[in-house]
Amino acid sequence: MYVLMRILESSPERYDMGISVVTLGRIKPAYDRIASHIKCGMKVLDIGCGTGLLSIRMAERGALVRGIDINPAMLEIAKKRLKQSDMPEELKENVEFSEMGVAELSSVSEGSYDAATSTLCFSELSQDEIRFTLRELRRIIKPGGLLLIADETVPKNLVKRFVYALIRLPLVIVTYLITGTTTKSLREPALQIEEAGFAVESINMNGMESFTEIIARNPGSH
Amino acid sequence: MPSLKYFFINIVGTLLRGFPLPAKTGLRKIGNPDRSSPVFLTCNYAVSVERVKKALEGMDCYLLVANSNGINVWCASTGGHLSNHSAVSVLKTSGIEQLVDHRRVIFPQLAAAGIEAGVVRKKTGWHVIWGPVHAKDIPRFTQILEDGHRKDANMRMVKFPLLHRLEMAVMWAFPFSLILALLTYIFWRQMLILTVAASWIVPLFVFITFPLYSGLLTGKKGKNHGFYGNYGSYGSYPGPSKEPHVGRPLSGKLGISKYTVLFNIGWVSLILWLVFMLGVLPYSLAAGTLSLSLLLRWGFVSLSMMLLVNIDLMGSTPVYKSGLHEERLLKVMLDRERCTGCGICVDVCPRNCFSIEGRKAVITGSERCVQCSACIVQCPEDALYFASPLGKVLMPDTIRMYKLNMMGSRLKKGA
Ligand SMILES: C[S@@+](CC[C@H](N)C(=O)[O-])C[C@H]1O[C@@H](n2cnc3c(N)ncnc32)[C@H](O)[C@@H]1O
Ligand code: SF4
Ligand code: SF4
Repeated sequence: MYVLMRILESSPERYDMGISVVTLGRIKPAYDRIASHIKCGMKVLDIGCGTGLLSIRMAERGALVRGIDINPAMLEIAKKRLKQSDMPEELKENVEFSEMGVAELSSVSEGSYDAATSTLCFSELSQDEIRFTLRELRRIIKPGGLLLIADETVPKNLVKRFVYALIRLPLVIVTYLITGTTTKSLREPALQIEEAGFAVESINMNGMESFTEIIARNPGSH
Repeated sequence: MPSLKYFFINIVGTLLRGFPLPAKTGLRKIGNPDRSSPVFLTCNYAVSVERVKKALEGMDCYLLVANSNGINVWCASTGGHLSNHSAVSVLKTSGIEQLVDHRRVIFPQLAAAGIEAGVVRKKTGWHVIWGPVHAKDIPRFTQILEDGHRKDANMRMVKFPLLHRLEMAVMWAFPFSLILALLTYIFWRQMLILTVAASWIVPLFVFITFPLYSGLLTGKKGKNHGFYGNYGSYGSYPGPSKEPHVGRPLSGKLGISKYTVLFNIGWVSLILWLVFMLGVLPYSLAAGTLSLSLLLRWGFVSLSMMLLVNIDLMGSTPVYKSGLHEERLLKVMLDRERCTGCGICVDVCPRNCFSIEGRKAVITGSERCVQCSACIVQCPEDALYFASPLGKVLMPDTIRMYKLNMMGSRLKKGA
């Protein structure tokens, strides 16, 4: 379903309205579940924060959030949303949005975050980028800290994969025609996260296995 | 020996020039590179990757394929798809830093509108060298580099030779003829061959004969460019400003909207079309075949031909000037005070508009400028900027931030 995201991203102004329709309302509860792991005072890195929905939700819980994204237009909306939100001014100051890609994570210092989150962003990264990001996150997240991911995934079950491909195909074509880009879904993200040295604590999938939420912990010792 | 893949991708790429064709991003090893071998970068348009690989045959080097959403270098860099982030990402995550000891990377010159050498340097420590425009010049370029010389003007220049013009013609003709073929097949089978033939002949004719009449048009109408497809930048054209036009409005144009870049249906063609349709009427009456469906079908066929002729084919090319949209002309301006004569603008301009005289840049060929903005984006002193005909000024910051797109938000945002 999330192929359409590319269309939304190409016009960030329409992104928010579209994203919840496109994810069939699945993304909002996913934000809530992710945010529920974030406690007051925690330092959180939100990777590919987009229009900042999740970042702001976590800030409302008292977290110190840095949202990074490569799309300046999306970040502009995130900043505007933050300004207009009704959370107390002193909490707003705890949020920082910066234009930065995952490739620049090597400039972030070791152990500087209690948790990292990323929703619907890993599926837009290349394999090289995913490997690099996970390796950097192992360094950046404090030992014992959390990695929380929610993204579109390729179903493991063959029948489901077939049905999924069938449903996706027309959307892929429409997306391609409008934006000239395609999105891929993640294949076995939990496995990759584990291979990077994280301890995966829970994997939560929808019935179609096309949307996965992963909670992992950085065991620390490299 | 070019591989089968090379031919296949080139054929598909030529037929579907207007569409992205993504290749895998990341590192490719060419020959047997070692720790001091050169590093090249290109975009992930499959045709570009194959062409660069072919040009690198016989060398020992590394090729980095950066994400440009499957769009060719020029369109992607002017359209914001090939950006600082694409370059930084492939340099940091592909593993190249573990493979070579030096930090010099050769970028295609046409990436200069989208990737800022200074930012790449700051974020990654890599030093950007602007390579030639065309992949086939790479071997000659590396030789020149070894000898410690600079690229010559020929290697820096984008031209539009017959072969490229034919490619552009195919880019328009192929998808258009497919759509038309499908429609005529459904509604009027006898006309199939005729309409398909016409939809190939018109673009071929227009593109082959460009050089013959382009001089006439540009002399009269000013220097304008619509870009489209995998030659120019993606339908990119700085849009008109919000203010009403100063001076004489464009005469006799019935554009679809003032944003329309591609179609420009003038009164003349509308009248010709009406005359044609009025001719069909007595003709079919005389032949005794008059019917509503015949009229509709003739109407459709001739209308689609008229549309094809009226697409701003010439403006869709990178170097020929469109006859339309006089008001969108941007001019490169130089702030002599700031200029240090470093010559970067000379190195990146694909139309050889600059020269250095007495340690300052001089704009010597502004009539050739295609407003790609490469010089402005790269100038380390912010000494260059755009001025619009209405007196608006677009400063380097704005130009770097807002890449071109269909609606030309740059001029709007900058205003
Ligand atoms: C589909 S959006 C999701 C945004 C937000 N997390 C949400 O849930 O609504 C994906 C975001 O990832 C960003 N992105 C893509 N590649 C990235 C990269 N290499 N580094 C950082 N962000 C990236 C895109 O700009 C986009 O805003
Ligand atoms: S790049 Fe800028 S500073 Fe350098 S020569 Fe050109 S105008 Fe002058
Ligand atoms: S002078 Fe014109 S053609 Fe040359 S780099 Fe600058 S904008 Fe592009």
